[in-house]
Amino acid sequence: MNRKKGDKGFESPRPYKLTHQVVCINNINFQRKSVVGYVELTIFPTVANLNRIKLNSKQCRIYRVRVNDLEAAFIYNDPTLEVCHHESKQRNLNYFSNAYAAAVSAVDPDAGNGELCIKVPSELWKHVDELKVLKVHINFSLDQPKGGLHFVVPNMEGSMAERGAHVFSCGYQNSTRFWFPCVDSYSELCTWKLEYTVDAAMVAVSNGDLVETVYTHDMRKKTFHYMLAIPTAASNISLAIGPFEILVDPYMHEVTHFCLPQLLPLLKHTTSYLHEVFEFYEEILTCRYPYSCFKTVFIDEAYVEVAAYASMSIFSTNLLHSAMIIDETPLTRRCLAQALAQQFFGCFISRMSWSDEWVLKGISGYIYGLWMKKTFGVNEYRHWIKQELDQIVAYELKTGGVLLHPIFGGGKEKDNPASHLHFSIKHPHTLSWEYYTMFQCKAHLVMRLIENRISMEFMLQVFNKLLSLASTASSQKFQSHMWSQMLVSTSGFLKSISNVSGKDIQPLIKQWVDQSGVVKFYGSFAFNRKRNVLELEIKQDYTSPGTQKYVGPLKVTVQELDGSFNHTLQIEENSLKHDIPCHSKSRRNKKKKIPLMNGEEVDMDLSAMDADSPLLWIRIDPDMSVLRKVEFEQSDFMWQYQLRYERDVVAQEEAILALEKFPTPASRLALTDILEQEQCFYRVRMLACFCLAKIANSMVSTWTGPPAMKSLFTRMFCCKTCPNIVKTNNFMNFQSYFLQKTMPVAMALLRDVHNLCPKEVLMFILDLIKYNDNRKNKFSDNYYRAELIDALANSVTPAVSVNNEVRTLDNLNPDVRLILEEITRFLNMEKLLPSYRHTITVSCLKAIRVLQKNGHVPSDPALFKSYAEYGHFVDVRIAALEAVVDYTKVDRSYEELQWLLTMVQNDPVPYIRHKILDMLTKNPPFTKNMESPLCNEALVDQLWKLMNSGTSHDWRLRCGAVDLYFTLFGLSRPSCLPLPELGLVLNLKEKKAVLNPTIIPESAANNQEPVNAANNHGQPVVFQNTFSNSQEEEEIDMDTVHDSQAFIYHHLNMLERPSTPGKEQSSGEVTMHPVSAAPLSVFSKESNSSKHSDHHHHHHHEHKKKKKKHKHKHKHKHKHDSKEKEKDPFAFSNSPASARSIRSPSLSD
Amino acid sequence: MRIALYGSKMADTAPGGSGTRSGSKHTTTPADNYYLARRRTLQVVVSSLLTEAGFESAEKAAVETLTEMLQSYISEIGRSAKSYCEHTARTQPTLSDIVVTLVEMGFNVETLPAYAKRSQRMVITAPPVTNQPVTPKALTAGQNKPHPSHIPGYFPEFPDPHTYIKTPTYREPVSDYQVLREKAASQRRDVERALTRFMAKTGETQSLFKDDVSTFPLIAARPFTVPYLTALLPSELEMQQMEETDSSEQDDQTDTENLPLHMSTDDSGPEKENASVLQQNTSLSGSRNGEENMIDNPYLRPVKKPKIRRKK
Repeated sequence: MNRKKGDKGFESPRPYKLTHQVVCINNINFQRKSVVGYVELTIFPTVANLNRIKLNSKQCRIYRVRVNDLEAAFIYNDPTLEVCHHESKQRNLNYFSNAYAAAVSAVDPDAGNGELCIKVPSELWKHVDELKVLKVHINFSLDQPKGGLHFVVPNMEGSMAERGAHVFSCGYQNSTRFWFPCVDSYSELCTWKLEYTVDAAMVAVSNGDLVETVYTHDMRKKTFHYMLAIPTAASNISLAIGPFEILVDPYMHEVTHFCLPQLLPLLKHTTSYLHEVFEFYEEILTCRYPYSCFKTVFIDEAYVEVAAYASMSIFSTNLLHSAMIIDETPLTRRCLAQALAQQFFGCFISRMSWSDEWVLKGISGYIYGLWMKKTFGVNEYRHWIKQELDQIVAYELKTGGVLLHPIFGGGKEKDNPASHLHFSIKHPHTLSWEYYTMFQCKAHLVMRLIENRISMEFMLQVFNKLLSLASTASSQKFQSHMWSQMLVSTSGFLKSISNVSGKDIQPLIKQWVDQSGVVKFYGSFAFNRKRNVLELEIKQDYTSPGTQKYVGPLKVTVQELDGSFNHTLQIEENSLKHDIPCHSKSRRNKKKKIPLMNGEEVDMDLSAMDADSPLLWIRIDPDMSVLRKVEFEQSDFMWQYQLRYERDVVAQEEAILALEKFPTPASRLALTDILEQEQCFYRVRMLACFCLAKIANSMVSTWTGPPAMKSLFTRMFCCKTCPNIVKTNNFMNFQSYFLQKTMPVAMALLRDVHNLCPKEVLMFILDLIKYNDNRKNKFSDNYYRAELIDALANSVTPAVSVNNEVRTLDNLNPDVRLILEEITRFLNMEKLLPSYRHTITVSCLKAIRVLQKNGHVPSDPALFKSYAEYGHFVDVRIAALEAVVDYTKVDRSYEELQWLLTMVQNDPVPYIRHKILDMLTKNPPFTKNMESPLCNEALVDQLWKLMNSGTSHDWRLRCGAVDLYFTLFGLSRPSCLPLPELGLVLNLKEKKAVLNPTIIPESAANNQEPVNAANNHGQPVVFQNTFSNSQEEEEIDMDTVHDSQAFIYHHLNMLERPSTPGKEQSSGEVTMHPVSAAPLSVFSKESNSSKHSDHHHHHHHEHKKKKKKHKHKHKHKHKHDSKEKEKDPFAFSNSPASARSIRSPSLSD
Repeated sequence: MRIALYGSKMADTAPGGSGTRSGSKHTTTPADNYYLARRRTLQVVVSSLLTEAGFESAEKAAVETLTEMLQSYISEIGRSAKSYCEHTARTQPTLSDIVVTLVEMGFNVETLPAYAKRSQRMVITAPPVTNQPVTPKALTAGQNKPHPSHIPGYFPEFPDPHTYIKTPTYREPVSDYQVLREKAASQRRDVERALTRFMAKTGETQSLFKDDVSTFPLIAARPFTVPYLTALLPSELEMQQMEETDSSEQDDQTDTENLPLHMSTDDSGPEKENASVLQQNTSLSGSRNGEENMIDNPYLRPVKKPKIRRKK
């Protein structure tokens, strides 16, 4: 359906079109963290009877709305503030998620909705009927915003500029509504005029061209005037104000970089590379950078590391680094490149709807990948693709699938495309953050698959076509109706592909875009000597969650004695076995060199191989052209040959992982050889270190010689004359630097027969620390030292405890004492000479937690809590919080859990709040099927409140809370809640008495939950019944879902201007439909069609009933609000009374 | 009489001449003999000059005085000439040194050739060869050190070793690599330990063990007002190190690599040249003032004065 719509072009969900918007922020008060300003939207009605204008606005206190200089009435309702209004006894996540999705829908700009509804003054109706322009002027203010706009105000002496106070916009997806009223959609484009009046010592950086900067009359402030002539969505508007240092890019004068005071030298170094990224993208896209200027701003307490907006990007200040830092450099460059890729696809080219998001993320991720290939080389690129593929495969298999292009059939569709998930994928704002990350990952992988199909040349042509179309459109006037060309849709994109390449990629799209899941292959083979044929068996698992059946071509590469041969197999429904003829007779040509895939010919020692078979190794899907997981069985010597001689890094890595299962001297030799081979990709060598450690541990009884890697390390990095002393650091060769860092960490994982880290290894690491000398090094050794501490931590094994005695200093293991000595000294030295990004503190904290966990040091969260406080560097805080989370789990500490949850609510840094929930979800104190003293009613209430209303200012945080709730309690009613009073409930509708459904999930939870999770398609009958019953019976909760919509429409109806009866009817119908349908779709799953109509009627009936209820409720609320008016910015606008009776709410002020 | 009078006049003009050899009159050492022989020759010279001038006899005292004057005069010429020659960093006086000396002493040099070629001059036999006086050897203790190659041979010899040699009281510095590294490592460790212990003793601490706060004292974590500054900026120590390890070398390289590449890929040649010039400017002078004229970046433009509103 969506696609058909796309073919016709973009259809706005709104009865008007926005052409231009002015945002003017007159006053920013850093002390009070408040903002005062106005917006003016120029809109053209597209229907004659436009009587109300819905806009998005959150948090903003709206003083006054005027339409063409006439005061206009408005109401403000935000159902996402509190998702479930009533004290629901259910506490059932399924129910919450549905209600939340409904609430988000109710204000979704892509459905034409919004929190703010403005009534067009009756004087203008005639004007509107002629479809003449309307100017909507809204005065607003923001007071202590909790989301959308983040203030950083260091608590110290001096003026705000001296303190380095700054403010910037932030958020997850379309979050601009948090800081000014707008149509917060990626598909509503308009031109912009932005004005910011700030302190004279500050700089305001925003989108578009800085036209001029003018002093105010008292000369104490400046006004920055920006113009953005390229039509841009409100969601791509951003702002950063602070006492920034300004750096004009020496290579490109249109590019300006901003950083906080004192960081200019770092900024210079960090951005010195950016022009090359520009050149690269412009070259491959054969298109100039679309905006006339570009700005990068580096700010503290960033929401995300990289945020791309129209013609500017906001980065975390922690990406800045000096020339001495090795490890951060590639990471930062990646961030810069990512941000720039999104400038083209994401900012300049926007999306039509949420379901088209994958195209933008896919393209920007794909061209970023091309940049990576060029910059870091093919090995790094392939390694990255493999890593991303592994990640998405693992995630999909765990959660049941990521769907790139969800199609929602206007509410009538019965099956929810993502029924396996505990959240709705209908809106970006209901998505789990992890899901969204994986979504982006899958998107760019799928783009790569498309490239494989149609060639890179065509791919780039498609991108160029999209860009040139958008570019032409952007220079047109609004009246030309060309702006929608700047929006990309799935169908438009696919059409471009078929036009450019002439190829049909529909099967590919169907497989990876329109449906979720990955492919799971199991491969094994046998060699038939008589026929000289390789009998390959490839099985698929397509019944487990997150999998799908693959039908189509599959490439298999067979390395034989005579060379490497590619075979394309057709994977079909019932064919498991594939016969592949071999080219070479076994051992026919002993002396010859063996040709490899890349044309190279090498000598191999063939003594290890099977004398009867000419097969060296076999690879399934070597190019990663299917989103899959392959479990392939071949003998150990084949893996060893693959590791040694296959030149593809992915194959080498696969071989290393496979060799873990073969702890033999031959594997050891193969790994050691790879480790020593300097031409080998450094990541492969690093991986080999860890595998070698594992193998050595498995072979512990038969291992001969010094501990694994020790002599290697000595040879590579220690002095020739005194092998126990490491050379003074010289990190000029990065490959060997990374190896030098990794080897001790892997060595520390070695264990002797008593399962202890060999003394020799520990002493070796301690010596490395002792003799570490960085005086002559050009680079900082902070990461190296941090990894040496990690190595120390890795060497720790559980303490031998006699009788659970209390851990004291006296019974401290002498080895641990040495370790502790080092950690103490390192941690203390950090206070005097802090390392870059405090990497050493981070490692020390982790090591201390390891010591605590292993029972060497008394388990105590106090130290971590002090490091987790606001005011420490963010990496340190995260490390400390991770330790507290771990403590909470291990010690089942209710107090610490409370402390963490308090921090989730109160911490000033949004990223920390998000991260705590994330860490709690990944390392939960308990899970839904577990008995835990922590699991109690109070906690349920607390978390429920957190996701219901406590996190309404931050989508990401709310979704994080939902994730945590899901992990702790599952989808159904938490098992720790007390039983409801009534065991039996009379169901009046069905005239039956049933067991109270709120009890059933509890009993069913234990035995049915896993089944439910495992099988999405066939939901257990019992469960289904209870669910349908529960919603039928619990009418109050039912209302809650409709509450928000009902509420809005109730008032909208009141606002409805008198018109011809027939017209009113139809317009009412049209507007009613999509919204009421949204919650219906949720429930219609369970109810059959006959019920459906009944249901609808029932709903309507309810709706009327609710009217009264609402009035009452809101009156009450209003009273309450008036008391707290000062505190609550939404107070008066939230009340329906104010909207109806007070024409101009500013009167009240 | 004339002679005596003249002699007294001469003595007046060269009073310093006599002092030099007054000490060597009383004893008859070989050195004295040497001097006496020279003086006798001078006396012969004076006498013959007197004869040439037409004197038939002279008092011994007058001859003696004239000899004394001549000796002084010649000594002064020698001394002065030596000074001139040393002044020009030579060891052997040349003719010009003598000439300058004579000129300086008020002698009309031009008259000298004519005087030397006069017909009535008398030839005096060379003084008898006598041995150079040998300075008695002082007590020598050890061999004098020869001049190292960079000291020219004409410089005075080294004094006797005993006058400057001192006996070292410290041990020979260790040069063994292993020991050096060991030493550096333990020294640094000791310093760090001492320093951190001191810091821990004087400030707030945290401890991993409830029962013992002193064995592993951790300096208490103190939040910063601006945490990113300490975390991102290199410490002074590192900065110093950076300067020492001469990182400019590599940076130059990358710069020169980038520049031509950049120019070749971009079409707008003249603009880019401008850019490269500017880039040097930025790297040379941190101040933005110089570039303002050349770079047209809106953030560098001056802030405008507010417009005066007509409404007022």
